[in-house]
Amino acid sequence: MDVTRRDFLKTSIAASTAAAVGMPLSQSVQAQAGAAEEGWQWDKGVCRFCGTGCGIMIATKDGRVVATKGDPDAPVNRGLNCIKGYFNAPILYGEDRITRPLLRMKNGKFDKNGKFTPVSWQQALDEMEKQFRAAYAEKGPHGVAVFGSGQYTIPEGYAAAKLMKAGFRSNNLDPNARHCMASAVVAFIQTFGIDEPAGNYDDIEYTDTAIAWGANMAEAHPILWARITDRLLSHPKMKVVNLTTFKNQSSNIADLEIIFKPGADLAIQNYIAREIVTRDAVNHDFVKKHCVFATGPYDIGYGMRSTDKYAFPAEKDIQAKELKVTLDKYEAIGQRKKVGQVVEQNNTKKPVKHWLISFEEFKKGVEPYTLDFVAELAKGDPDESLEDFKAKLIELADLYIEPERKIVSFWTMGFNQHYRGSWVNEQVYTNHLLLGKQAQPGNGAFSLTGQPSACGTAREVGTFAHRLPADMVVANPKHRERSEKLWKLPAKTVNPKVGSHITKILRDLEDGSVKFAWVQVNNPFQASGNANHWIQAARKQDNFIVCSDPYPTVSAKVADLILPTAMIFEKWGLYGNAERRTQAWREQVPPPGEARSDVWQVLEFSKRFKLKDVWGEQKVPGLKAAGFEDGKLPDVLAAARDMGYSPDDTLYDVLFATPANRKVKWPDPVAKGHGNSTVDALGDGWFAEKALFNEYREFGLNFQHDLADFDTYYRDDVRGLKWPVINGKETEWRFNEKYDSYCKKGSGFDFYGKALKALPTGNLDKVTDPEKTKLAGKAKIFFRPYAAPPEQPDDNYDLWMSTGRVLEHWHTGTMTRRVPELNRAVPTAQIFMHPADAKARGIKRNDVVWIESRRGKVKAVLETRGRNTPPKGYTFVPFFDEGVFINKVTLDVTCPMSKEQDFKKAAVKVYKA
Amino acid sequence: MNISGILVVVSPSDFQTAVSALGALPHVDVHHTDHRTGRIVVTQEAETVNDEVEGLKRIKALPFVAMAEMVYHYLDENGPTAGNKPAGADGAVSRVDVPASLNE
Repeated sequence: MDVTRRDFLKTSIAASTAAAVGMPLSQSVQAQAGAAEEGWQWDKGVCRFCGTGCGIMIATKDGRVVATKGDPDAPVNRGLNCIKGYFNAPILYGEDRITRPLLRMKNGKFDKNGKFTPVSWQQALDEMEKQFRAAYAEKGPHGVAVFGSGQYTIPEGYAAAKLMKAGFRSNNLDPNARHCMASAVVAFIQTFGIDEPAGNYDDIEYTDTAIAWGANMAEAHPILWARITDRLLSHPKMKVVNLTTFKNQSSNIADLEIIFKPGADLAIQNYIAREIVTRDAVNHDFVKKHCVFATGPYDIGYGMRSTDKYAFPAEKDIQAKELKVTLDKYEAIGQRKKVGQVVEQNNTKKPVKHWLISFEEFKKGVEPYTLDFVAELAKGDPDESLEDFKAKLIELADLYIEPERKIVSFWTMGFNQHYRGSWVNEQVYTNHLLLGKQAQPGNGAFSLTGQPSACGTAREVGTFAHRLPADMVVANPKHRERSEKLWKLPAKTVNPKVGSHITKILRDLEDGSVKFAWVQVNNPFQASGNANHWIQAARKQDNFIVCSDPYPTVSAKVADLILPTAMIFEKWGLYGNAERRTQAWREQVPPPGEARSDVWQVLEFSKRFKLKDVWGEQKVPGLKAAGFEDGKLPDVLAAARDMGYSPDDTLYDVLFATPANRKVKWPDPVAKGHGNSTVDALGDGWFAEKALFNEYREFGLNFQHDLADFDTYYRDDVRGLKWPVINGKETEWRFNEKYDSYCKKGSGFDFYGKALKALPTGNLDKVTDPEKTKLAGKAKIFFRPYAAPPEQPDDNYDLWMSTGRVLEHWHTGTMTRRVPELNRAVPTAQIFMHPADAKARGIKRNDVVWIESRRGKVKAVLETRGRNTPPKGYTFVPFFDEGVFINKVTLDVTCPMSKEQDFKKAAVKVYKA
Repeated sequence: MNISGILVVVSPSDFQTAVSALGALPHVDVHHTDHRTGRIVVTQEAETVNDEVEGLKRIKALPFVAMAEMVYHYLDENGPTAGNKPAGADGAVSRVDVPASLNE
């Protein structure tokens, strides 16, 4: 590029940048913006990375993306973009993009031990169908599984859910989002009876206080952090608190940094609750009108297998805690029991059950959480004095309690990926509800998400083993009935048995109860804890793994068939972000080679099955539900015939290319000249993404989850809308009568979610009156005690180890590491450690070291300086690098309620390699 | 060649220092400034994506910088197009049909 062109570009880019962020510009500068962009076509889109949901503008020229910029009209990011957003375009053009179906073959046919060989789509789908049929015939609907995603577009997730739940009658569909926000979901449902936050990002500009609980927002949610920084610079009253287990970049602007011990967040929140109660700062009016108190059992295990049959010898001592726990000093005090008491874990099967308690009982529950007790338990930095730490806890409680101070609590994986993730989520609502600081501009507990459509697809569409669209669940007969009606299915088509959550699908592969699995839009074999088990399971000789993937990920490598897959702007899509905002984009460029969208892949596969293949009687071991024979799904073919279906109709005809959907024609004016590769490949002229969205939308209308119609999201003047969208108007703050039309008139606040709103009554230990009380309109204030992490450092594994994200990489690095130079620059992920711990082990900065746990070991480069500075006794390892496959070291302990894994609390030893 | 447009926000009291320091960074040009709000727009040129990332981290690390984020990303219009070269006779478009790492 010559100098003149380069200078010209820079001037133009600078002008566009300034315009995007709304800086005042002279007319001549304004004219420079866009000058370099001749022949480019700009269109709106959504960033493909984290859950923030930033709007971006995409420029294409000659079928190629040439530039992206922050969308100045996007309310989320107001023209900004972070470094992850930078990758939206380069990710399409990685050198090792997979562009043809690849099947493991030997001597011209499929062989589990063969090499990946290019095949046609026809051959690929033939083998896939054959393997699916074998698994389905042998094991029934729960012998097959789909690994879904919080990165699914809404139509993708909906298509996958409908094929599995309505077609194959299997609930074995579970997303990687399970590992991201399942604990948040449990707390939303248990506390409010409905999923997703009350507030929105504008809370930042209304609040006086932002508390980050175990969320390094500066690196993981930089755009929201930029808004918080902005508020800090412009609002003198604003305070920022970073609660964390190690010093990180979010501490840089924080007024208060609190380093706590892993798991002690449970105790710190109870300390705040106790302070609210003892200082009589409870907002009694709010609590009386809108809340009840509740608790549940403590003996709920840690989400591990109940048998040690599959455990490696070294991990058996931890696995044994699934059955029996010996209480340590802090648990004993926090749970009002005796030190050393052995507690059998009797409620591992029903960890979510709960009951009403009185305010007096609640007070009794938080009573042990005094400043002295909590400070001793929670102080995370051995070099900090107890007195200093106490002063910080008092300051934190003061901030929450100060009457006129607005406060927002933010969290992500620190709470969610937690052996008691659901409890710690519930506790944050407890404190906001006690104070009446919830569901108002600038006041509220706000659960952030990590993936672009964890909310929009995984949660709202319901691509979970227990869910149906719009917060419905498979175990509820009324919800199944409503879904069957909307899907035009015979009664009892939908399976009432909850399927396997994502960790259980992996365990099912290991023990042979699942024999066919399809990986869609995620990388479970790298992203799941205790990975050595699952890698071995995938390579067992009697299962078949399909992986839809644009790149050779760990999951692709362990698969038997890889399907080349279209990426973000190579398809039409919609995402829903963490503030309930649904946003849409058009296909910008065609996918490369033979890559196809996930929607096409699901629909094309559905063509291969007829009703008679799947709607006859099916065995489902363990199924037990009213109206069903034990262990069986009934034959519904006769009922299907009565509805006008033939046993020879394909699932494609019955579920997807229905008469109503075929009326949604392509081309469509909403496309404004953009293509649709999915429609082209299907070749039968209906606009699949739009038709599927229309169909899905019906689930939420007048059902507390209203979305706008498809075309509205594509309007030039719309940058997403926060549901419920009522008469074209989005809802800013839910449950607040002033903003939410679902609230009862005159209620002020109405926590109208319908789930789990009738409860028995009891005390802190048990139910004393089984008669259920109805709780319409109320939110629950939970008491949850401190529980100790099941694995903690000991003499052998003497350091804590947490995993997480860094600024410039996202998740397993599948996309942000595609660009070769970036790979070279960060050859291996580092392990961050305190210099004194390194010295004690005779290792130094830049040494290659082993990180070893009971479950496996990996090598990494030691870092004792830099952006993450752990306290003594603690280490941090990012998980983006498959070369430092850290999930071989982590545990598959989950929160027993949410089944979300805890990636933050392993015990390891570190030594020179 | 990549060019980024970056918004830098600094505290108004450090404004002049910040403008000079940013201007002194190699491959960085200061284009627009707004003293009142502490906002500075710079462009950064980089040969590789890694240089781009490291360059931004370098700006973020300056002591007076409250915030620095990319706004605009330009990719070389003549860069690699492995992704969407027209299909060849066998339908294959990738530089390689089977990425080597898959069969390692």
